[in-house]
Amino acid sequence: MAKVKNPFVEALQNIAERQDIGSFKKIFDYFGPRLKSFLMKSGADDAIAEEIIQETMTIIWTKADYYDPSVASPSTWIYTIARNKKIDILRKTRKAVLEDIETAILPPVESKADENIEHDQKFEMVAKYLDDLPKDQLDLLKMNFFEEKSHGEIAEITKIPLGTVKSRIRLALEKIRGKLEQDGRMVNLNNESESMVN
Amino acid sequence: MTFEILSTPLNSPASLIFQQCLTEVDPENRSLNSAMNEVGGYFLDRADVSPLSKELWNKILDQTKNERSAHPIKEPHDPFLSQLPVTLRSHLRNKNIKWKSFKDVKVASILPKENNEKLELIHVMPGAKIPQHTHEGNESFLVLHGSYSDEYGNYKRGSVQVRSDDHNHTPVGHPQTGCIGLAYTHGKIKFSGKFGKLLNLIAN
Repeated sequence: MAKVKNPFVEALQNIAERQDIGSFKKIFDYFGPRLKSFLMKSGADDAIAEEIIQETMTIIWTKADYYDPSVASPSTWIYTIARNKKIDILRKTRKAVLEDIETAILPPVESKADENIEHDQKFEMVAKYLDDLPKDQLDLLKMNFFEEKSHGEIAEITKIPLGTVKSRIRLALEKIRGKLEQDGRMVNLNNESESMVN
Repeated sequence: MTFEILSTPLNSPASLIFQQCLTEVDPENRSLNSAMNEVGGYFLDRADVSPLSKELWNKILDQTKNERSAHPIKEPHDPFLSQLPVTLRSHLRNKNIKWKSFKDVKVASILPKENNEKLELIHVMPGAKIPQHTHEGNESFLVLHGSYSDEYGNYKRGSVQVRSDDHNHTPVGHPQTGCIGLAYTHGKIKFSGKFGKLLNLIAN
């Protein structure tokens, strides 16, 4: 089967391996305007949104060797960095205490060459699954994980009972988790155990 | 319960560090969190585009000139820090942890208090007992190392307990390992036992 490599995986690797400005620009041109609309929808004004993008791009530049194509798709990695930066920059008292949080849990990745190409496919499977979801279900996920609304807010907006909102979101996430785990590198889904609550 | 915590939108550094520690201590949480992040990435990929100002690219180039890839610094081995998730270790790197001692229980603030939110590291010595108390507002407590028990159960690394103001308990650290946990609080802790009034004055 032909394996198509995500162009942004390659771009991130080029940055990590040889500080390639062309690849960096490619990421900026594609993700910059998308990040801006994401950030402005979640409360940043024009100037703050661009400040967050600037910080996000700087992290991409300096930490590209932490990007592991088997752990997240490029858009997910970039999304996560921007979301964390946003939390840091949007709060009222801005003490520089969140440095390194973005990449803290990820060790730098050794040179990857071609070995990870097949991992792209599981992220494509996730995208395909989301593409095929009925719109009302996809909207619940979008509200929760992109527009950053709480389950309560989603229930209010959609007039769907809170319990149903939660169970639909949870079901979709379990499906996605299953697809992410198909390469067997991650934990077994069947041992699902709820933490103790009281 | 961890599903609820992980899917609550992050809105503060305290919630970010707490969630990230939660994903670190339990692989189940980590994979669930990865799934949530993939949804975010999916929508970023399909987001509308907003035009950027012309200077932004040059500003970024200027900034990156001064930044070089920073690999993790080899840290001197610290037996206490080595028990903590990497998120906390890197956050606490080069910072002095200022412990407040309450007999056999030590408490250290991880972030400056913001909007009534607190993030604290709680170190319960082996066998130590925390006086009976309730919680004002909500407290999420994540066990990072060792374990503890109270009237309701026994809690190991990776378990999270969410407690609200009607919850009254007396936790005891494991007799051998004690317990280190991360407490994310919206509101003050309220002691309710015999010396409650005095402890309330000290703790708050």
